[in-house]
Amino acid sequence: MPFTTLTSRMVQAEVAPGRTLFSQRGAMLGYRGDVRFTPSITGGQGGVMGMIGRRIAGEATPLMTVEGQGTVMFGHGGHHVEVIDLAGDTLYVESDRLLAFDGSLRQGTMFMGSQGGVMGMVRGQVTGQGLFTTTLEGHGSAAVMAHGGVIQLPISTGRPVHVDPQAYVAHRGDVRNKLSTAIGWRDMVGRGSGEAFQLELSGSGTVYVQASEEKL
Amino acid sequence: MNGPVIHDAHTLPADDNINPYAFSVDLDGQWFLQKGKMVAYYGKIDFQGIGLGRLDRLIAGSFHSPLHAADWVVAEGRGKMVLADRAFDVNSYDLDDGNLTVRSGNLLAFEPSLALKQSIVPGFLTLIGTGKFVAASNGPVVFMEPPLRVDPQALVGWADCPSPCHHYDHAYLRGIVGGVRAHTGLGGTSGEEHQFEFVGAGTVLLQSTERMMDAIAVGETGGTGS
Amino acid sequence: MHKPLPPIVAAAAAITVPGAPIAPIAPCPSAWGTDNVGSVAQFRLQGSKVLAVDMSGDTVKAKNGAMVAYEGEMTFKKKSGGGEGLRGMVTRRLTGEQMAVMEVKGHGTCYFADRASEINLVSLHGEKLHVEAENLLCTDGALRTGTTFTGLRGSAQGNGLFTTTVEGTGQAAILSDGTAIVLRVTPQTPLQVDPGAYIAHTGNLQQHFQSGVTFRALIGESGGESFQIRFEGDGLVYVQPSERNTVGGDL
Repeated sequence: MPFTTLTSRMVQAEVAPGRTLFSQRGAMLGYRGDVRFTPSITGGQGGVMGMIGRRIAGEATPLMTVEGQGTVMFGHGGHHVEVIDLAGDTLYVESDRLLAFDGSLRQGTMFMGSQGGVMGMVRGQVTGQGLFTTTLEGHGSAAVMAHGGVIQLPISTGRPVHVDPQAYVAHRGDVRNKLSTAIGWRDMVGRGSGEAFQLELSGSGTVYVQASEEKL
Repeated sequence: MNGPVIHDAHTLPADDNINPYAFSVDLDGQWFLQKGKMVAYYGKIDFQGIGLGRLDRLIAGSFHSPLHAADWVVAEGRGKMVLADRAFDVNSYDLDDGNLTVRSGNLLAFEPSLALKQSIVPGFLTLIGTGKFVAASNGPVVFMEPPLRVDPQALVGWADCPSPCHHYDHAYLRGIVGGVRAHTGLGGTSGEEHQFEFVGAGTVLLQSTERMMDAIAVGETGGTGS
Repeated sequence: MHKPLPPIVAAAAAITVPGAPIAPIAPCPSAWGTDNVGSVAQFRLQGSKVLAVDMSGDTVKAKNGAMVAYEGEMTFKKKSGGGEGLRGMVTRRLTGEQMAVMEVKGHGTCYFADRASEINLVSLHGEKLHVEAENLLCTDGALRTGTTFTGLRGSAQGNGLFTTTVEGTGQAAILSDGTAIVLRVTPQTPLQVDPGAYIAHTGNLQQHFQSGVTFRALIGESGGESFQIRFEGDGLVYVQPSERNTVGGDL
């Protein structure tokens, strides 16, 4: 468990040889010891060519690799920071909400559309992001940012949870997602708007929802 | 957490926090106040702009920052004054023949027994003397001891230790990554190649970064998993 | 100390038993001219910034779009209502627009939040709550909401001043930027409030605008006058530790 919560908006982590971290650019608030921050051209995976390709696509900003021996404080923009521990399972998280995570976690991207049909498309519109959501898998922890902190809502069989896409932060577990809209909701927010939809999460797991309908 | 407590003119704290985001000054005399930080008050209090002739002696003794004069007023009178700043955390600090340097935007108010001067570090103000002041921070302040390097954005202030110096990450500037960046413009910056370095004995005050950055897509570097 | 008129429901003391059939706060839900008799929605806070409302077929009114998640079946209906308010008056944001409100009805739990604001629960027992329209998150369907014209002397604008009122018996959730402070006004201790920090009030209060600052020495400084709202009488004023929405209140 490398992250220690200092305040609701700051976490601290130890790095040591063999124990690196990845963090978002600009997320380091302070450090002591011999710590190096390297823009991760590979992001741990992918290689330089992959990076260049993505750069041309105008999509990726590299993560930083944080390594060495010392203590690092992370935080960003005064947002609340939630530490999520993984024990072999997978976390699905909006990429710009990732503050920092364990180097031991396997990082990937998931095309949300492949799981939820049009959902990825609409989420892309709604959130201004691509169709990809980051996945983190393995044993370790991730520090995730949210506007105003998060609540966890359990998802269980027969009890799906509907989430405003703007308030959605992350989810874990055996969860299926699709778009839905509640009766009357579309009339209220306007039919053309991407906000006309909610994310319907069903199966069994947990969804993390922030206390705000504003994107970070 | 208990529900909201109901305060009145008498039960409001005297020179103490009401909650993490609001501070109550028990005024009997004068305080310096940054404009826009007073949310409510009881009693008879006047607010005078800095530079008023009558306050000349007070200003001469306690306010030495012409840069900031337009942003400050003097509150004068008797009563209880509630200070707050955009729902940031606020804290009071007591100086006993000491000095503390604080980001100018974070300073809300101070007693005239303290003297305010402009720090040599741009954007910071130094308070010298004995007395109380109130400062805001984005989230609770974290106190750290040097040696320490901090992101300038995360710095609230420092006390007792020498002023910081700049630290540049040479491994980054010179290394392979730097070379690739210099030639291709690719690779961006880590955002962490420049810090303030603190050494010596003292205390450094940190907050979560104040500047709200644009949403940055990260974590998409992996292509497919693993 | 004797408890004041509107009992403030503690965050943690709010009902935490999901699906509890009886609302301990509003033992006699009255019709008050609404179509909702019998069941009462259960308001509870999840943390300090998310309001969870347990519903079994009943209705609540909520700020438009403030739903962040729900379980069960919910239907939404757009309503209009509410007005500007004291703050709007002073900050010259009068656009003639009204706050949009939605009516939520269903079985299950609906979660509301608004831009990471703190949420304060207020139980009403027949009295009237005046609240800035943009600070009203959610009200029990049994409560009547409306707009009240508040006569104001000495205001800079010729426009009338309207505040949103909530009346009846039931729960309301109001928003504040940071933890709200509740300040008592008595005839002996009037209170001055920055218009940007004002959220709500209850009781028998008169409001006046006053320009409280003398920036005589600020030569060349335009707008060297700033407004405060002065409350006199008997009642409670809710203030937020923030003044970010203010234009007029300079101090």
